[in-house]
Amino acid sequence: MSSSGNDPRQPSTAKPYKPQPIHPDNLPIDYSGFLAIICGVAGVMFKYKLGSWLALIFCAQSLANMRNIETDLKQISTGFMFAVMGLVTNYLSPARAGVKT
Amino acid sequence: MASPKPSLLFITLLLLLLHLTITTSSPHFEGFEELELEPEPDFDISLPPPPITLSTSLDPEPENPPLDHQPDLNPKPETPNPQLEYWDEEEFEGFPEPEKPKTELGQNGLDSDPVQNNEPELVETVKVKLSQPVPLTKRIKSYIIEIFCLLFLVLFSVKYFVGKKTNESLALAWATKFATRGTIFDKNFSLLGVGDKEGEDAPLLLKEGQNVFKFYASGRRYCQGLVATMELKSRHDLIASMYNVFVPCKDEIRIEVYMNNDAMDHVVFALGKKRAAKVMDKEMRDLQRFGNVLASSKKWVADELVVVSELKEVAADLLNESVVEQVFGEKAFEKLGKYFISMHFSDQQQSTHRKMLVFKFALPVTNHMADMTPLVALVPYYIDLIGRYKLSSQARSKTEAARIKVAQEVQKELQNARQAALQRKKAERRKMMDEAEAQLTAEILRKREEKERARQLKKAMPKIKMSRGG
Repeated sequence: MSSSGNDPRQPSTAKPYKPQPIHPDNLPIDYSGFLAIICGVAGVMFKYKLGSWLALIFCAQSLANMRNIETDLKQISTGFMFAVMGLVTNYLSPARAGVKT
Repeated sequence: MASPKPSLLFITLLLLLLHLTITTSSPHFEGFEELELEPEPDFDISLPPPPITLSTSLDPEPENPPLDHQPDLNPKPETPNPQLEYWDEEEFEGFPEPEKPKTELGQNGLDSDPVQNNEPELVETVKVKLSQPVPLTKRIKSYIIEIFCLLFLVLFSVKYFVGKKTNESLALAWATKFATRGTIFDKNFSLLGVGDKEGEDAPLLLKEGQNVFKFYASGRRYCQGLVATMELKSRHDLIASMYNVFVPCKDEIRIEVYMNNDAMDHVVFALGKKRAAKVMDKEMRDLQRFGNVLASSKKWVADELVVVSELKEVAADLLNESVVEQVFGEKAFEKLGKYFISMHFSDQQQSTHRKMLVFKFALPVTNHMADMTPLVALVPYYIDLIGRYKLSSQARSKTEAARIKVAQEVQKELQNARQAALQRKKAERRKMMDEAEAQLTAEILRKREEKERARQLKKAMPKIKMSRGG
């Protein structure tokens, strides 16, 4: 479909690729990381183990969708911390374990 | 002074009464303790059942003896005696420790009635029977959340690796089809890929996340470069792919061509499927300002497509016969329709680069990548077409007028916004001043009031003086 016979290429005008700097505010919102933190906090606050497990799952999702390592890792790590904390308090606290078993 | 005495007496009497009630109530509590201790005789009364179980072999007779035992037990307040009697009946007659059986009694009594030595085996079997079914049913139920979540995490990780690979293979299939040696982009651009150096080693695709791939090409007449962004389905994400079951989406590619500033005339043109065109007409400012939806009266492009253009003449020139015949005509579009989403050419784009051509296509399956070749071929074709395109003087004056008008409007809007901001600031400042003044006036008022009060006091003072003087 090319309309011209001669070569359209112009090596002289070629410029190497420059990734467009993305402003941190314009980044797509990491919903799963946000949900992970909310679920994690809920799991810790109410000793609700499903919350902590959900937080762990959303952490995994957020990790899978990560694009920018520096900015996203902070949120993921906080969510992960809450999730792990919730799980630890749920399963390793003696009083709770006594009630359950 | 006579009245307080009876009241004191009354209070002391009340206190005494209270004291008495407390002291009388405390024995009551003691009595409760005694009641708690009492069960021992009760136990003895409730002993009859065990004999029944014991004497199952002799049914009618043993029922009476326990009844006889009861009156025997009741008069006797001490508990160890009957036990000893029981023990005496059996072989352990001279057992020196009667306390041991007591403890056994207590334990057995808590669990079940039997007191006798023959019973413990039965008790044990009952205990085993009770403890066995608990872990089998209840434990699984109590761990159901953990099991489900761990299973989900495992599935998620499996899906992640599988989906990642399929996405990568799809992107690579596109790149090998259109960006390797001897293909469309290689024939049109001197630099391919995101590497800094021209060569074989330079990577063609840039991976941004697990479902976004970028391809870059540069070194062509009329344009500075081209960036193709592939946004694939999030196959790597189990949750997202579960969501996509209900809200289906496509693998999309968006090709942006950055035109040279001198190589693009006043063109605002968009072509898209009906839904996409509607969205574009709403969201794109340049289409809102300059574009008009052109109703296709005659057989021009496929019915599914909507043309938005600033000038009819431009649209006619861009959708010339050969393009319509090969891509956008009714016949050709039957095949290519499912891969085409929209295209948008404008010299007034809302982005860092003003003059830009944007193509949006849907990607076919990995094995049928060749199906979209005519669509990808549109990209260099339109770069050349628009690069060479010159508006007629009439059209140019029209578009220029429109652009000046819009520019003026934009400037006006900017000015208005600036003025509004200024006015807001002024209003705020005025408010602040007013408040300060109000505070000041309040203070002044207070001072005045104080003065008046002082004056009144002064007025009042002399009167007193007068009276004193009088």
